[in-house]
Amino acid sequence: MARTAIVVCWAMAIALALFLLAPLLVIAAASFSPTPVFDLPLTGASTRWYGKIGRLDGFWPSLLLSLQIALLSTAISLVCGTLAAIAIARGKLPGADIFATALVSPLMMPGLVLGIALLQGFRAVGFTAPWATLLVAHLVITLPYVARTMIAGLSQFDFTLIEAARTLGCTYPGSVLRVMVPALAPSFLIAGIFSFLASFDNYPVSIFLADVRTKTLPIRMLQYIEEAPDPTLAALSTLILAGTVILLFVSDRVVGLHRMAGTSD
Amino acid sequence: MSEAIPHLVVRSVSKKYGPTTILDHIDLTVRRGELVTLLGPSGCGKTTLLRAIAGLAQPDTGKVELAGRDITNVPPHKRNVGVVFQSYALFPHLTVAGNVAFGLKVRGAAKREIDAAVERALSLVKLGHLGGRRISALSGGQQQRVALARAIAVEPDVLLFDEALSALDRKLREEMQVELRRLLQEVKATAIFVTHDQDEALTMSDRVAVMNKGRIEQLAEPRELYLRPASLFALNFVGLSTRISGTVLAADNGKVDVETGVGRLSALGNFQAGSSVIVAARPEQLRISEQGEANSAAGRVRSVVFQGSRTLVEVDAGAGESLLAELSGRDGAVPRVHDEIRLSWPVAETFAFPMEAQV
Repeated sequence: MARTAIVVCWAMAIALALFLLAPLLVIAAASFSPTPVFDLPLTGASTRWYGKIGRLDGFWPSLLLSLQIALLSTAISLVCGTLAAIAIARGKLPGADIFATALVSPLMMPGLVLGIALLQGFRAVGFTAPWATLLVAHLVITLPYVARTMIAGLSQFDFTLIEAARTLGCTYPGSVLRVMVPALAPSFLIAGIFSFLASFDNYPVSIFLADVRTKTLPIRMLQYIEEAPDPTLAALSTLILAGTVILLFVSDRVVGLHRMAGTSD
Repeated sequence: MSEAIPHLVVRSVSKKYGPTTILDHIDLTVRRGELVTLLGPSGCGKTTLLRAIAGLAQPDTGKVELAGRDITNVPPHKRNVGVVFQSYALFPHLTVAGNVAFGLKVRGAAKREIDAAVERALSLVKLGHLGGRRISALSGGQQQRVALARAIAVEPDVLLFDEALSALDRKLREEMQVELRRLLQEVKATAIFVTHDQDEALTMSDRVAVMNKGRIEQLAEPRELYLRPASLFALNFVGLSTRISGTVLAADNGKVDVETGVGRLSALGNFQAGSSVIVAARPEQLRISEQGEANSAAGRVRSVVFQGSRTLVEVDAGAGESLLAELSGRDGAVPRVHDEIRLSWPVAETFAFPMEAQV
């Protein structure tokens, strides 16, 4: 009985992994299609679509915008989210649980609802500069990722470490920088990556706040697919995918090593 | 000369958290090179006193002086204290050597100087070969040593131990107690231990401060603390004892006669006739044999507990009172449960404490 159950579970795990990964493999294959229309089986391979990415209309400004927004919102979220997480994790804050739930709640809200709410909210207070509204909106998107990860990380953190550093001659801010930040490096890395990715590929919130001159990369990509559905977009998607895989792989190595170095046995 | 100079002086330090008094006008003077233990149950204020000395808790009133300097308002990083925490608080992102070097690095010492100090500190705690290890790769006992090495490496004016041995298992703890005492005497460190473990206090310290409810009940050498407890609390907290309640019949020159449920007993103490008191004696003073000028009481043996070098005999003396005797191997025949026996003990080793101080 137990053996059968294990076989079924294993089969399910493999099937699900294939189900999740198959579309990614298809898009990677399509990006090397020699013809403008992707068709299986492939009759050859070509990298010409990769060369066309940079010539897409408005590609560079959109990429730059997305990177700016993602990096900035991640940086701000890391600082603010960590400070908030400290307040919550130390537990002396009355209603810390409520604050924790509130900080993480945007994760559970549908993006469309969030987008509409932000658009209406910003309009109501007369805040309409597209770049700035995008940044603030992406803070709402990224903060929950940072807050969630940092609350978890800090709940494992022994604040006596800071006291130890202080008695050894460190000022309080110095102790935070020399002890708390490195000890929490894995959490920072994970929080930063998820926050960056969440911002970089966000569509449903951004679409409400973008205008003709301020379009993030996901919005621009959807526009391309409507205008000219050729494998250039598949090539671009494959590049983003590759970048993400490298980022995750590298950080897993780094975090993995850090984990081994001490924070958990 | 310098041996006698007060090295650490705590003057009338008080601390309240909200309505709760944690420290109630504490006075404590520690000489250079002295090992002093703050002993007491949880909540007695011992850890808060230690933190006040380390600068991690700010007293509401009073002063703290260290090595001739008023450090009451000096932040912890300028106090030159070394603290060994209960959790060890080792930095997980640094190696063993990195942890030990931390304090010196922060102080901006030269690399050669740091390396030498790290090597010295690690060899002192017998971990010279593990400098490159990660903290997570060490056992509890080794981590404890690293924490000690880290605190010693900066050559602090005083070493503070906050329940530093309590996370170790019993055997290791007992070994560390002896080793730590020897090591601290070797480097001529002034140290304060906080513990709730009486054995640790008696083993490690030159003097023990028994703390209760934010006050120091007694500050004495371990031997005196055991033989001449100053209060019922100190008697109860350190060592075992027989305690019998009674009423003073007559008082005479430091000695009282007390009427108790087990008969009339004599004890040391100054009380007025009619006072309610607790009469107490240490278990090793109680003998089955007759003794000269002695108190005695009879009863039925309730339990006999063999503990290796000694045997504890509990006797039900009637009237709700019980007697506790510790018989060493030399004492010959050990009674059995239900035996009727009579125990006697010297008046000179019998104490009396006021009843209302009972805890």
